[in-house]
Amino acid sequence: MKGTNLGEFQELVLLTIGALYPEAYGVGIKEEIKSRTGRSVTLSTVHAALNRMEKKGLIKSELGEATSIRGGKRKRYFTITSYGVKALSDVKAQREALWNSIPDIVFKAQFS
Amino acid sequence: MNQQIREHRPPRLPQRFLRWYCKPDLLEDIEGDIHEDYNKRYTRSGKHKARLYYWLDVIRFFRPFAIRNIFKAQIHNNMFKFNTLIAFRNLSKNKLYSFINIAGLAIGIAACLIIAHYVIFQMGYDRFHENADRIYRVHVSTVQNGEDWGASAFTGFALAPALEKDIPEFDAVIRAHPYYGGGVVSKVVDSVNTGSFREESMLFADPDILKMLSFDFVQGDGATALDDPSAIIITESTKTKYFGNSNELVLGEILNVNGGWARGDMKVTGVIKDLPANSHFKFDFLMPMATVLEDEQYQSEDADWGWTNFYTYAMLNPQNTEPQVEEKIADLMHKYQGETLETDGLKQTIGLQQLPEIHLRSEVESDDMTTPGDIKSVYFMIIIAAFILVIAWINFINLSTAKASERGLEVGIKKAIGAQRNQLMGQFLTESFWVNFIAIGLAILITFISMPYLNVIIGEQLEVNLLHPVILASLIGLTLIGPMLAGLYPAVVMSSFKTVTALKGKFISKNSHAFNLRRGLVVFQFIISTLLIVGTFTVSRQLTFMQNEDTGMSLSQILAVKGPEVNVSRAGFEAFKNNMSQYASVEAFSSSRSVPGAGYNWGTEARKSGTQSSSNGRINVTWIDENFLDAFDMELISGRNFEFSQENIQHGLIVNEACLDAFGLGTAEQALNEKMIISSDTVFIRGVVKDHHWNSLHSDYSPAVFMYRWASVDYFSLKVNPQNIEATIDEVESQFNEAFPGNPVEYYFLNEFFNRQYKADLAFANLFKAFALFAILAACMGLFGLASYSVVQKAKEIGVRRVLGASSGQITYLFSRRYLILMLIANVIAIPIAYWGINDWLNDFAFSISITPELFLLPVIILLGIAAITVSFQTLRASRLNPVKNLRSE
Repeated sequence: MKGTNLGEFQELVLLTIGALYPEAYGVGIKEEIKSRTGRSVTLSTVHAALNRMEKKGLIKSELGEATSIRGGKRKRYFTITSYGVKALSDVKAQREALWNSIPDIVFKAQFS
Repeated sequence: MNQQIREHRPPRLPQRFLRWYCKPDLLEDIEGDIHEDYNKRYTRSGKHKARLYYWLDVIRFFRPFAIRNIFKAQIHNNMFKFNTLIAFRNLSKNKLYSFINIAGLAIGIAACLIIAHYVIFQMGYDRFHENADRIYRVHVSTVQNGEDWGASAFTGFALAPALEKDIPEFDAVIRAHPYYGGGVVSKVVDSVNTGSFREESMLFADPDILKMLSFDFVQGDGATALDDPSAIIITESTKTKYFGNSNELVLGEILNVNGGWARGDMKVTGVIKDLPANSHFKFDFLMPMATVLEDEQYQSEDADWGWTNFYTYAMLNPQNTEPQVEEKIADLMHKYQGETLETDGLKQTIGLQQLPEIHLRSEVESDDMTTPGDIKSVYFMIIIAAFILVIAWINFINLSTAKASERGLEVGIKKAIGAQRNQLMGQFLTESFWVNFIAIGLAILITFISMPYLNVIIGEQLEVNLLHPVILASLIGLTLIGPMLAGLYPAVVMSSFKTVTALKGKFISKNSHAFNLRRGLVVFQFIISTLLIVGTFTVSRQLTFMQNEDTGMSLSQILAVKGPEVNVSRAGFEAFKNNMSQYASVEAFSSSRSVPGAGYNWGTEARKSGTQSSSNGRINVTWIDENFLDAFDMELISGRNFEFSQENIQHGLIVNEACLDAFGLGTAEQALNEKMIISSDTVFIRGVVKDHHWNSLHSDYSPAVFMYRWASVDYFSLKVNPQNIEATIDEVESQFNEAFPGNPVEYYFLNEFFNRQYKADLAFANLFKAFALFAILAACMGLFGLASYSVVQKAKEIGVRRVLGASSGQITYLFSRRYLILMLIANVIAIPIAYWGINDWLNDFAFSISITPELFLLPVIILLGIAAITVSFQTLRASRLNPVKNLRSE
C-alpha cells in the first residue's frame, strides 16, 4: 500500500466517482469535474489518479459495455471500495474538526 | 448518451503510437476514453481541433503509469542480444577497421567532451552567484561631438548613492574599488609585523556586496562581516598563507595592510571559500569601502564624479526588468553632472551589463580583475568541436559503406532465407550502436587523461565533470543519436542489396553513388582539416609577430623591480638609486610610475591650448624620470629630454607622435611651440617621442604623454648587462632590502612581463593547435582506412599489373593519385574560406601580419604530405606483396 493520505485531486476524483455512482468512468469523471468545479483537467491526469487509487485499494473497477463512439472499446466503471469510503470520511472528519476549532471571531473579522 | 455524436475515425499515427507504448491492460480503457473525447470534440469544435486534441491526449498519456516496459520487451525478443553477438564477431573479424572506426570516433567524441568542458567553464562565469541574473554592472557610454568614446565600467563614487536614491527598482547598489597597484600585507602578532607578503588582489566594497553576491563563509557572519570599517575578509587559501593550515578560528586576528590606499591594522571578520576560477571578481582580501573613501584623493572637490576609479554594481528587484530600468537611468549622468558635461560637449549614457555576461562580452572598458574572455573564441571552439565530430562520423560512414561489399554475401544469404529489410537494418544499427558505445567509453577515458594537459594549455583548472547536465545530456545524445546518424546510411545501403546480385557479388558497380558520396565526404573532411591547419598556422604566426615585433623600445635588457610599499623614505630611494646606478652591470637606472605592459597611470582629457573645451580628447599620462627614455632606447624626434630637477616647477610634456594628429599640433617641430591643456593645467611641450607600443599590439597607437617626476617608487627599471645576470639580481635584492626594509622584492624582465598581455591569445593558439591536431589525426585515420580498404579490393588488379611489369612506384602513384586529386579539390574550396576567416580574425589586431600566399601554401603542402604518406603506406605495402598470392585464389 502506498500510504493512505488522499491528495486534493484524488479526493475530488473519489467524490466524483461517488456522485456518479454507478456510472463513473474516465470521460464522465472528467466532465463532471469540469461542470461542478470549472476545472479543466486532462484525461491523462484523471487516469493517473484512478490508476493510483485503484492500486491503493480505494476504488475498484469493472469493464462495461462497448459503444461506437468509443471506437468499440469497453468502458471501465469505477466504484468506491469500503476502504475508499473510510478514507473519504476520515478526510471529512479531519476537515470538520478543523472547522470547528476556528474561533467565531475569525469569521466575524472576515465579514464585518 | 448524446444522439448527435457520431463515430469518426481518429488520426492513425497517434493511435498506433498509443497502442505501441500503452500497457495492454490499460489500453482498452484509455483508447476508448480518448476516442470518446475525440468524437465529442469533433461534433463540438470540428475535425482539426479534435485531431489536435487526440494527439495531445496521446502524448499526455505518455507517462510512467501507462507505459509498458519497452526496453525489457526488446531484450526479450532476443534480437538485440543476437545482433550484439554478431556485431562483436564482426568487429573482431576486422580488427584494423574496427580499431580505426572506434579510435577515430573516440578521438572525435573526446575532443567534443573536452571542448564542452571549456565552453561550460567560459559560459559559466559568475553564474554561481544565486542572484547572478539580476545583478548588473553599471557602465557609462560617452560620446563627444559625435565621436564615440565607447563604454567604460569606471565610475565615480557618487553614482551608486545616486542610483540607490533615484531608482527604487534596485534592491541594492554597491561600489567596488580594486587596490590599484597592490600592497603589502603582514600578520600582526603582539603589535609586531611578521610574515609580510606582496598582495595584488585586494578589493574594497560596500557592505551590501555580501547581500548581493553569494560567498561561502567558512568562518564569520556572512551578513555583518563588512560592517566594521576596519574589517577584512580573507579567502581560505589566504588564511592558510598567513595563519597556517589548521582549522582554528582566525576571527579577530590582525592583518596590517600597507600600500597606496588603506594603511593600518585590519581585523579578520570572515573567511570565505576561495572564489571559483570562473568568477570575474578576483580577490584574496575584501575590505569595506569606507576605508578608501577617507583617502585624501577622494576628499577633494569634484572627486565624487571625477575620480572614476570605482565599479558600480546594482541588483534589480525580481519584479522589474532590465529595459524598464535602463530607460530610467540612461540620463542620470546629465541630471547630476549636466553643466560639466555640457561645457565639455559630452553626452553620457548609463547602461547595464548582466553579471554573467561581463566575462565574455568585454567590449566595456574595465581594468578587469581577470583576463577577459571572448565570446568569439567560445563560438569558435563550439564550431571546431562540431567539425571534429562530423569528421569522425564521416570516417565511420565511409569505412562502413566501404566494407559493405564484403558484407554483401552475408546480406544475400540472410535475405535468401527470409530476413526482412528492417531486421537487417536492426542488425547494422546494433553494430553501429556498439561501435559508438565503445567509442564513447574510450572517449571518456581520453578526456580524463588529457584534461590536465588542457589545463596547462589554457591556464585554468578545469575538472572533468561528467555529471554536469550539459555533458550528461550530450553523452546520452551521442549514445542515442550518434549510431543513428552515422549508422543509418550504411545500414540502408547494406540492407538494400538485391538478394541475387548480392549473392553473385556484383553489387559494387551498382553502388557507384555510394562511392561518389564517399569521395564527397573525404573532400569535406579535408576542407575542414585545411581550414584548421591554415588557421593554426596563421594564429601562431601572428603571435610570434606580436611577441617579437619592435615595440619602439628595447625591453629585453630591462629588469623591472616593483617599488616598495612600506618604509618608503627619500633617503632609502636615493641610496637605492645611487648604489644601483653605480653598479657596474647596470647601464641605466630609471624610476617611473608605470612601465610598458603595466598600463598608463592616468587617463584624462586634453586639448590644444587655445581651443574650446569641446575639442577635448582622451589622453593617457605616465610619469617618468630623466633616465627613462635612454634606458628604454626610445627615440626623440624633436625637442629635448627631461632634465634632472627636484624643484616643483613646470617640466613640460613629452608627447608621442599619435598626439600630433589627435590634437592638431602640426609637425613634430611645430608642436614644440604649442601648449596643451591636460585636465585643467596648461603645460608646454618639450619633446616629441616616436610612437611605441606601450600596450599590446591589439591596440593601436593612442595619444599619450610623459610627465616628469624625479623620484617615483612604483617601478624601478634597470638596464642590465646580459652578462652576470645572477650576480646583478643578487645585488638588486640586497640593495633593495637595505633601502626599503620590510618589503618583499619582486622583479621581472620586461619583455617577459610585456608578453604576459598575450596570455589569452597564447591559450587560444595552443587550444587551436591541439584541436587542429585532433581533427587532422581523425581525418588521416579515415583516409588510412579507406586507402587500405581499396587496396584489399584491388588486390588482383595490383597483382596483374605487377605480373605485367609495373614497378611498385608506379602502382603506388596509381592508387595514391585519386586521393591526392580529392585533396586538391578540398584545398581549392578551403583556401577562399580560410582567407576570409583569417582576414576577419586579423582585423581584431591593430598590428597584424599581412596575408601572404605562404600562409596557405605551407599548410597545404604539409597536409598533402601527411595524406600522401598515409595513403602510400598502404599502397606501397600492397605493391610489394608477391602477386602470385593474390592471383592464385579465386
